[in-house]
Amino acid sequence: MISRRALEVATAILTGSFGVAVAVQSLDNGIGWSTEGVESGTFPFLTGIIIVAGSLYNLTRGVMPAASLASVPVAITSIELRRLAGLFVPAAIFVAAIPLLGMYVASAAYVLAVLAIPRHRSVLLSAVTAAATALALYVVFERMFQVSLPHGALAAALGF
Amino acid sequence: MDNLSELLHGFTIAVTVPHLALMVVGVLLGILVGVLPGLGAPNGVSLLLPLTFGMQPVSAIILLSSMYWGALFGGSVTSILFNIPGEPSSVATTFDGYPMARDGRPTTALATAFGSAAFGALVGVILITFLASWVAQVALAFGPAEYFAVYFLAFASFVGMGGAAPIKTVVALAIGFAIAAIGIDTVSGSVRLTMGIDELVKGVNFVVAVMGLFGIGELLVAVEEEFHARAVSSKIDWLEVFRAVGRLPRHSVALLRSAAIGCWMGITPGGPTAASFMSYGIGRRFSRRGRYFGTGEVEGIISPETADHAAGTSALLPMLSLGIPGSATAAVMMGGLMIWGLNPGPMLFVDQKDFVWGLIASMYVGNIVAVALVLLTVPVFAALMRIPFVVIAPLIVIICVVGAYSVSSSYLDVVMMLGFGVVGYLFKKLFYPLAPLVLAIVIGDKAEDAFRQSMLMSKGSLGIFFANKLVTCLVVAGIALLLLPLALQLFARIFRKPASIETTTQEKVII
Repeated sequence: MISRRALEVATAILTGSFGVAVAVQSLDNGIGWSTEGVESGTFPFLTGIIIVAGSLYNLTRGVMPAASLASVPVAITSIELRRLAGLFVPAAIFVAAIPLLGMYVASAAYVLAVLAIPRHRSVLLSAVTAAATALALYVVFERMFQVSLPHGALAAALGF
Repeated sequence: MDNLSELLHGFTIAVTVPHLALMVVGVLLGILVGVLPGLGAPNGVSLLLPLTFGMQPVSAIILLSSMYWGALFGGSVTSILFNIPGEPSSVATTFDGYPMARDGRPTTALATAFGSAAFGALVGVILITFLASWVAQVALAFGPAEYFAVYFLAFASFVGMGGAAPIKTVVALAIGFAIAAIGIDTVSGSVRLTMGIDELVKGVNFVVAVMGLFGIGELLVAVEEEFHARAVSSKIDWLEVFRAVGRLPRHSVALLRSAAIGCWMGITPGGPTAASFMSYGIGRRFSRRGRYFGTGEVEGIISPETADHAAGTSALLPMLSLGIPGSATAAVMMGGLMIWGLNPGPMLFVDQKDFVWGLIASMYVGNIVAVALVLLTVPVFAALMRIPFVVIAPLIVIICVVGAYSVSSSYLDVVMMLGFGVVGYLFKKLFYPLAPLVLAIVIGDKAEDAFRQSMLMSKGSLGIFFANKLVTCLVVAGIALLLLPLALQLFARIFRKPASIETTTQEKVII
């Protein structure tokens, strides 16, 4: 269970640290006025400062029990969290597997896994869906639009 | 009358067999992404973008804009039949559309929605026909300072009128600007904000951001609630369609009012989502049957639908004539324009007459095609909604992954897309607006260039933004919009009105 407050605080910290990174990095490019006009770090530096300031405001608003937040004490329930993980974790594994397996094998395996393992569909039907997905990707991208999707290190090792 | 002859010329470009075929394809794809939760107009259009690189710009824009119209209509179908908004901008349509459909009048609800949507779109297109070239003419005289002032006004209006918490809007905008700055600086040629990752020298493509923010992000929000697609009957009674459309003129006040709200929100970038909510709220306050809103009231469907489509259409006006898109989808289309080698802005009306007027003419035709197709295909797409979410979700993930990869064949883009997905989920969950973020990514560079050029002209003095009447007006209006939420809060505090309660109800509906 994650409270709205925790989520607000975490997001504010996330945006704030991005802002700090932006502001610090911009210093390398130089900020202020030079003979060639406004130096290239100035604009990003300012946006970094604005992000930090805004995040600090959102952080304090998130911590304070303001009226608007009290009405939603729970942002994500544990059931919702499980559903979120159920979608996101396989998707992340899928993306991580692309360099090795290539887009076609990885997406077929992904579809097969998310349909067959939680028993949403029978293994046979899942396999058919998975094969159809990979085939559709191949036909649409490699053939129709001539966009080459990654074939993966494994395919390269096998000589495809 | 110049505009009308140009428009007629535009029709000769738009009404050709290949272009009509593109419209049909675009509208159908648009309805598809509009119907599917997790896929919306912004990422639908960006998915299609890489496939248009080999096309003539005018054909490409006809395809993409038709997809936009289709998506706007498709979102309403699921809102009415399933109580699931397929698009953020059709959330307000669920309030009265679904109750009416549930009470056994699905055809009436759909026909009312499509009829008023078509009216809203028509008003938007007429506005573009007569106003766009005039605005462009005025804008031809703009220097960098005026441009920066217009950008400033656009961003300020998101803060002042976007409907989300103002500081969250500011943070979203600033993050967009920072992302736009990543990569090689166009003015000095130096490399900025790569965070030590060499591949980021090429910058972050907005398509990658859109895929993650709107695709994965929306999917994560959608998966939280298990969908129960308990559809009401999706059979269309054709006689009732004509009867319902025939009854629309009785609500002409609501139609005109909502169209005006929509056009206003589309041109001053507030976007279709904010427009439909605002129009619904105002409709409830001013309609004679306002207290019945929420129970399946005709004007409760007319108000959000008309405003939604009027805003979606008129969002293209500032995109064409100023180079400032009025909605997230318009921002994506503008990114396309730049990729096709066109320079969005007033010069389009001088150099690319065929493109501009072909597009405007296609908007008339495209919306008619969209109404006809959406009515014909309601049963098909309603059947699609019965496919369980667990099957559709992984397919949408794959579409987003492939979409992000195909932009520049980079694996890093796919990883970033997933990261944007998490950010999109958090932002949606906490009511940070996404449209200004995308807008800032697309036009952040141009705004910065305009600022730096004006600083060069004035040798570093901010006085250039108050140098003449026009630029002063724009800057002052922008500052006023920025301060508007603050002023409203003060006003509420002085008169002891509980402002916080109003924001929470708004937060609940703006998803």
